[in-house]
Amino acid sequence: MVLALLNDEQQMLREMMGSLAGSVGAGNPRDIAESDRGKGWAALAEAGMLGLRVRDGSGAPTGSGVDAMIVAEALGGALAPLPYLGSAVLATELLALAGAPADLLQRAADGAERHAVLLTRDLSGIAAADDLGGAIAFDSWGAAHGLALADGRRLVRVPLDGAAKRRPGADLTRELARFTGPAPADAEEIGRPLDPADLDCWRALGLTVVAADAVGAMRAALDGVVAYSKERVAYGQQIGSFQAIQHMCADALVHCEAASACVSYAAWAADEAEPADALLAAHTAKAYTASAALDVAETVMQVYGGIGHTWEHVAHLYARRVLLDRQVLGDAGHSLRRVADLRLGEGPGPEEG
Amino acid sequence: MDFRDTPEEAAFRARLRDWLAANAPADYDAAADHDAKAAIRRRWHRGLYDAGYMGMAWPREYGGQDLSPVYDAILNEEVGASDGPPVPGQVNYLGRAIYTYGSEEHKRRFLPSLLSGEIQWCQGFSEPGAGSDLAALQTRAERNASGDYVVNGQKMWTSGGQYSDWCLLLARTDPDAPKHKGISAFLVDMKSPGITPRPIVLADGEPETSEVFWDDVVIPADQMLGRPGQGWHIAMTTVTYERGPADVGMISNYRKTLRAIEETAAARGLTARPEVRERLARAYVLGEALRLNVAQQLSLRVSGREPGPEGSVGKLLWSRAEQSLYHLALDLVGADAVTGAAPDVLAGYFRSRPISVYGGSSQIQRNLLAWHILSMPRKPSSR
Repeated sequence: MVLALLNDEQQMLREMMGSLAGSVGAGNPRDIAESDRGKGWAALAEAGMLGLRVRDGSGAPTGSGVDAMIVAEALGGALAPLPYLGSAVLATELLALAGAPADLLQRAADGAERHAVLLTRDLSGIAAADDLGGAIAFDSWGAAHGLALADGRRLVRVPLDGAAKRRPGADLTRELARFTGPAPADAEEIGRPLDPADLDCWRALGLTVVAADAVGAMRAALDGVVAYSKERVAYGQQIGSFQAIQHMCADALVHCEAASACVSYAAWAADEAEPADALLAAHTAKAYTASAALDVAETVMQVYGGIGHTWEHVAHLYARRVLLDRQVLGDAGHSLRRVADLRLGEGPGPEEG
Repeated sequence: MDFRDTPEEAAFRARLRDWLAANAPADYDAAADHDAKAAIRRRWHRGLYDAGYMGMAWPREYGGQDLSPVYDAILNEEVGASDGPPVPGQVNYLGRAIYTYGSEEHKRRFLPSLLSGEIQWCQGFSEPGAGSDLAALQTRAERNASGDYVVNGQKMWTSGGQYSDWCLLLARTDPDAPKHKGISAFLVDMKSPGITPRPIVLADGEPETSEVFWDDVVIPADQMLGRPGQGWHIAMTTVTYERGPADVGMISNYRKTLRAIEETAAARGLTARPEVRERLARAYVLGEALRLNVAQQLSLRVSGREPGPEGSVGKLLWSRAEQSLYHLALDLVGADAVTGAAPDVLAGYFRSRPISVYGGSSQIQRNLLAWHILSMPRKPSSR
């Protein structure tokens, strides 16, 4: 039976995360500045959300890709300034796939230690350990180490302290740091080498949760502006009664629903399908979401009108969040090219999966 | 969440595939004209019925098998991927309309022949002055001295009107009631005196639909379906109800078309071009968005939730996917589409255009989403 919907436990997780995310989220730039990230992170750890991708005794993740999607969507919707994607999913999944020592994974699950993945300068993939100049540690708040790949398969970690400089990126809720140090002599190898299927699985999950974060932001942004359209009056009428506004919002809703359907399937496939199929589903979800998310964010700013373009307003925070989500692990064009390769066979030009 | 077939569903799908490989008419797409196609569709309906594939989700007492709508979805999916004509589309919602609202006599008389395809049905809903605004329909049904109804008016977009035996007709029985409340539904023999169907040739050159003139057509009062004034409700609930599983057929058809376009691109040596690859990938992505949205709708149905206005999302996704697919096809064949060298692409392009019109235009779908999902206010004037 096709069950494309959340089951009861997943529904409960969504509700729980909805209220948790509400308490750690942001509504304007001041909230972000004043946010107690440590407290928020501890709350996620206590709820067990940071250890979802840590493997249990049988080698299976304790939480599914769908669970991770639910968490990412809630935190994206709340504009939470917490490194859930970067640390609890992208980094922890890599560590778990490589079979990192149990105590290291336990500290990650407890929220006691964070890693950030070092991405290539264009953010499309994991940086090579021998070419870290300009690499970007994504979602690096409080991460002591960055993860990179040596020889395309050995996972290594390098200290970020002193070697990576925080950079003000577009997104005000997640931190980026640019690696400026020399190639470290003391890169520490972790676990066993990753095979190509491991990396496909990692990428499939990563693309999916990044897209889920954007879906959360899209939905929350749309909900907010639809509520506003019922209060704001112009020409003696609620602006939400104007068909021009209604159709813009309806199109945004279609984008939200379509992106969400693609992301849900990709999240299920991340654990349940063959790596190649999971990767196709993930690139499909990312390609759709990467282009739809900015469309929705722009619609939302337009419907708010002037106020939606001010610094103190929430609208640009959604746009900023999805601008970063669009790029992490490759933009829409990147994912479309991978979809083409997976369906039509390898195309021209060198690019990594 | 689980997107896999259960073992029972997988076994059903495998049996169905074998059956389709042996029985799906391969000559449908190449059939000479519309009459030939209609004849193939009639035989096809009978074949599906004899093999036990019609009305699977119907209650047992009406000739069904009480199966989950998932089986109809699998049927639509596999038939859409085969060479055969689509699954006869109206059987399920007409059946639901008749067994939900019909009298015992209606059920006994119409359900078996509807299921077997012995009697082919059309729907007389739209009119020249009532398309998207269907409730504005003007066709009148007035009682005569002997208590029968006499129908006068004109219906438009009556698909298969010229090939049908019976018609589910909407007509206004109470001109004084508010426009949604004054409409009743009738079951009408298309051989009744006064009914004149005339084919409408669409932009692709095919007589795919018809207009039907109704001049003093006498309908016995016992052929009203449901109560007087219940016509709008019957039409809306039954049509919405049958969308999900049937949509799955359009999706496998979309995938088949995309494959054909990919092959066209390969045959023309275009699949190495980065921009062509990106557009083919985008067409796949839009098809997946549609497929997965419909899967969610179907899951809601299976879990027992009444279908609602969220179906408009799927309709909009389908229109967009199919129309952009044919834009891509036009671009791939270039001048061939206009010099007569790629007639299939040109015809497909024109068939893709009205998708955003029929079954409620894209503009109406957006209104419905804004009003019923986003709860945005309707202006008093639009009530």
